[in-house]
Amino acid sequence: MKQINAILEGVGSVVQLLFRSLSYTGSLPRQGARFIEQCYMIGYTTLPIVAILSFFIGTVLALEAGYAMQDFGAKEFIGSLVGLSMARELGPMMTAVLLAGRVGSAITAELASMKVYQEIDALTTMNIPAAKILVLPRLAAVLVMMPVLIVIANIVGWFGGSVVARYVSYVGISPQAYFAALRHYTKFKDVMNGMEKAEVFGFVVVLVCCDIGLNTRGGPREIGAAVTRGVVVSLILILVLDYFVTKILL
Amino acid sequence: MNTTQQTARVGLFFLLGVALVWVTFETLSDGKIFAERTHTLIAGFDDLKELKNGDDVRQAGVKVGSVQLTRLAGRRAEAVLQIDPKVPIASDAVATIVMSGLIGGNYVAIDMGSNGAPSLPDGAEIRTASTPDLNTLMSEIGGLGKQLQDSLGSFSKAINGDGKAGGGIIQKLDKLVSDNSSRVDATMANLQEITGKINRGEGTLGKLVNDPKLHDELLAAVTDIRSTAAQAKEFVANAEGIMDQVKSGQGPLGTLVYDQKSADDLKASIANIRAVSDKLAKGEGTLGKLINDPGLYNSAQVTIKKVDRTLDGLSDSGPITAVGIVVNALF
Repeated sequence: MKQINAILEGVGSVVQLLFRSLSYTGSLPRQGARFIEQCYMIGYTTLPIVAILSFFIGTVLALEAGYAMQDFGAKEFIGSLVGLSMARELGPMMTAVLLAGRVGSAITAELASMKVYQEIDALTTMNIPAAKILVLPRLAAVLVMMPVLIVIANIVGWFGGSVVARYVSYVGISPQAYFAALRHYTKFKDVMNGMEKAEVFGFVVVLVCCDIGLNTRGGPREIGAAVTRGVVVSLILILVLDYFVTKILL
Repeated sequence: MNTTQQTARVGLFFLLGVALVWVTFETLSDGKIFAERTHTLIAGFDDLKELKNGDDVRQAGVKVGSVQLTRLAGRRAEAVLQIDPKVPIASDAVATIVMSGLIGGNYVAIDMGSNGAPSLPDGAEIRTASTPDLNTLMSEIGGLGKQLQDSLGSFSKAINGDGKAGGGIIQKLDKLVSDNSSRVDATMANLQEITGKINRGEGTLGKLVNDPKLHDELLAAVTDIRSTAAQAKEFVANAEGIMDQVKSGQGPLGTLVYDQKSADDLKASIANIRAVSDKLAKGEGTLGKLINDPGLYNSAQVTIKKVDRTLDGLSDSGPITAVGIVVNALF
């Protein structure tokens, strides 16, 4: 009962934070510097790890698909499998997981520290809402940066698959055949679906991590606990939301 | 890092992302960054099967365009095809929907049409033909399976019977064998006896099988027959040569058969013979009278007797009185 109460309390807090932040949307143009800073943190610095991870997801997909499909002569469809898997599912989900691990944890740690060391209280005293200058720029930045990260993740993943398809002996299909199958079966609509999904994931991850950070109470030990909780809740929400968003988008 | 640098990097990153989104859109939409000018053909079908937007249009297996749109038009389905304008489609070319593989994927195949036929203009309707799809084939195979099952059922019924009087072939055979088992036994015993005799060399067949002398004789007879056959062959060849000569009108027989004059002469000769034989039959002329008049025969017999007597007298009286005797005997 206590746990259910905690969950409901968390949901309520997140929704309140969302509406509070959205109520300051008009102030966003005046927060350009903060917005750019968050874009840099969320997008630019996350790019290398997203690219590396996506490349290897593409290669593993092509390897597994080639191994499974060589028995019934359907290796020509590896491109379509990698293309659709990356665009619709693995690209958005793995990027959101990386975002939760790298950006979400950083947001939670930063806001939890500010809360624990009473910086948030100081801002409130100065009538500067945390939702306005700490949450809103992050939400806006994640909405702008996620599509960029996703399209890079997709392209790098597709490229990784083509490298495996070309150079692994038991797969052995030409990049032309790989990309022809990919283009034949993967439509821009699939990429758009993936981007919509990623927007939802990114928005929820940042919002939840902000909320957990802002609601941290106690001392420095609670900062670590808040970071752990932020990442875990984000991961769970990503996977749970993945099902429902996919169901809606199909 | 100062704010300006940070802003520039974020701006660059964002622009890169937008550019990549655009490239992805163009690549996955029609495969080209800048859309090429195409011309459109309408293909009407009873059923578009699994055809969908973006599927290939191929001519002789080469991609020449793609399906832009599929739609219902009245009581038929239409596929709007975008064709590369550099590829002329003949006005009598026929479009069909073809499966690209068993696990799905269709494309529109357009044949070459006749040589010299004019090209279809932009927006024209192309002729189409329907092809059986996998479902139709499966349905036909199902029908075939049912027919096979029925046939096997009939065969099985014929073999095993349908439970009614008489039974099937096997029951009838069984009845035949059981009813005639004593005769079959007797026949088998006879066969055994016959084979035993043959084995022991008894009878003609036994000797033929067991006696090498008989075998040699038979072999010699066969050799003789073969020699005779060779001679017969030679004879036939000769006869053919003669026939050839006859056919070519050479020799008396050839002349007789193929020479018109000879035939006419023969006819005339036969007519003369017939006239002579008629006269003979009627007793006309000397020979006819000789044949038909018994008086002439009698006179001849008397004359011969007289000559005989005269000759006897000659042998007795000598040559001096021979003329007188002959005269007396005759007159």
